[in-house]
Amino acid sequence: MRRFVSQGGFWVGALAVIAVALPLLVSSTFAIDIFIRILLFAFIGVAWNLMGGYAKQLSLGHAAYFGLGAYTSTILLIRYGVSPWIGMLAGGIVAMLASLPIGALCFRLRGPYFAIATIATAQVLMLLFLKFRDFAWGAEGTTMPNLGDAPLMMQFDGKAPYYYVVLVLLAVGLAITYWIERSWMGYYLVAVGEDEDAAEAIGVDTLRIKRNIYLISAFLTALAGTFYVQYIYFIDPNTAFSFNVSVEAALVSIVGGIGTLWGPVIGTVLLEATSALLQSWLGGGHGGVQLTVYSLILIAVILYRPAGLIGILTAAYDRVIAGTKRVNKVSLDG
Amino acid sequence: MAEALVIRNLSRRFGGLRAVQDVSFAVNECETVALIGPNGAGKTTSFNLITGHCRPDAGSVLAFGRELVGLRPHEICAHGLARTFQVARPFGKMTVLANVMTGAFLRDRRLEIARQQAREAIDFVGLAAKEHTPARELTTIDQRRLELARALATQPRLLLLDEVMAGLNPAEIDQAVALVKKLSQRGLTIVIVEHVMRAIMAVARHIVVLDHGQKIAEGNPREVVANPDVIRAYLGTGYAQPAAAGESHC
Repeated sequence: MRRFVSQGGFWVGALAVIAVALPLLVSSTFAIDIFIRILLFAFIGVAWNLMGGYAKQLSLGHAAYFGLGAYTSTILLIRYGVSPWIGMLAGGIVAMLASLPIGALCFRLRGPYFAIATIATAQVLMLLFLKFRDFAWGAEGTTMPNLGDAPLMMQFDGKAPYYYVVLVLLAVGLAITYWIERSWMGYYLVAVGEDEDAAEAIGVDTLRIKRNIYLISAFLTALAGTFYVQYIYFIDPNTAFSFNVSVEAALVSIVGGIGTLWGPVIGTVLLEATSALLQSWLGGGHGGVQLTVYSLILIAVILYRPAGLIGILTAAYDRVIAGTKRVNKVSLDG
Repeated sequence: MAEALVIRNLSRRFGGLRAVQDVSFAVNECETVALIGPNGAGKTTSFNLITGHCRPDAGSVLAFGRELVGLRPHEICAHGLARTFQVARPFGKMTVLANVMTGAFLRDRRLEIARQQAREAIDFVGLAAKEHTPARELTTIDQRRLELARALATQPRLLLLDEVMAGLNPAEIDQAVALVKKLSQRGLTIVIVEHVMRAIMAVARHIVVLDHGQKIAEGNPREVVANPDVIRAYLGTGYAQPAAAGESHC
């Protein structure tokens, strides 16, 4: 086992070196923008995956927390001059507080009904921010004050610093997932995902574990929201509470491998890279062609690899590099 | 002897169906009690009412001096009552070891301790060779063994077994009987729902008979199998008196 762990550590280390060196090697801002989007959605996917993947609580309303994070830091910044670094944490806390009543309502439902209820929560929040103009600029939104190169206010010259911020976020998300996967919590989450009644019968407080993982997931998603609006310098309800964010969070995890550490990362790399490349090759002139190809790829993955692409990669890794079968893991779909 | 479980006037209806009606019985500590009766008699519903998976309309369940009605299943498990399900419900994508560790985490959250506890339970039910097999790949019998191990890993004082022997062949039934006896010798109180009379006669000190949600008889095994009501409702006349030639009702 030790050999396997150190080998795994080696590959993660190599990946980290490449990730850190990437902005130094690539000068194109277009490419770095794509990398930032990949890391951001991988991070949102990781946050979603903790709850949607391990515990199989398929939320389609994570935009609620993305938006709350974005609005909390923006209101604090513009109204009170508070640095978005602090606003980011405040947004995380607001999202956690919001997840308590939302969870209390939605966790009464199971399966597709849970998913529908979560969609509704994100939509309700979007409507609130659209209609209450005095509260937060209403439908027209607002732009961030441009402070130039102000690292303490999460504003930077050029795109590379943003890249590193979101890289750190992703690393934190992965570290939390790694830790949970290897503790009792990971076992409890997978047990809840497999069979809630059977889990209760052996002493798992299913409501509590679902609430706790929702808190963590909401907190992380809110951090992504703050980062995103700081990065694009603009916020409005349609951006912050976009249904696309909710869908993308679920999609990258499902395509990559639901309930696995690296699934959301693999899924995002594939989907975002494909989408960006298709857009640049096919986007101009032929309206809709790139979306059609994108959809075909999605359909193919779901049809032929319902457990996600990570299965192909880990099987190849085990066979070619490690030469072992993995055994000491909670879930076997990794 | 102290009473481990006292059930008083337990009732539950599902719409117009009285699944369990005014059932009372008690189980002494370290005793093995069997719950028998025809299909639909309310045996599994009784288990669900005792373990909190379903809330009774009336009545009380006292276990080791504590009222269980109103508690959630995980609290009841923490109080020392573990159950198996009639149709085994393993966590399919986990290995045997991970399944049982999930049970063991109830008493100790540390990975190493839980793994050690889980291995003991897995050894006990005879699944040690399949520790790393995914639960979904086990045979039905092994899935039952796994479920028993998972329940044992929660370190219960009272074990409720719901038809653990259904579908087993005679040799496997003997193994299962030996296993239940071994558990009883360890000081566990056991309530067992079963249709295999041979097994019940071998393990139970006391039998409670349900029919249409009501208790129709209880007593020691010999009394119960001779009881005319029990013969009519469940056993069939062929069971009590060895059937005369050409007169088998089984």
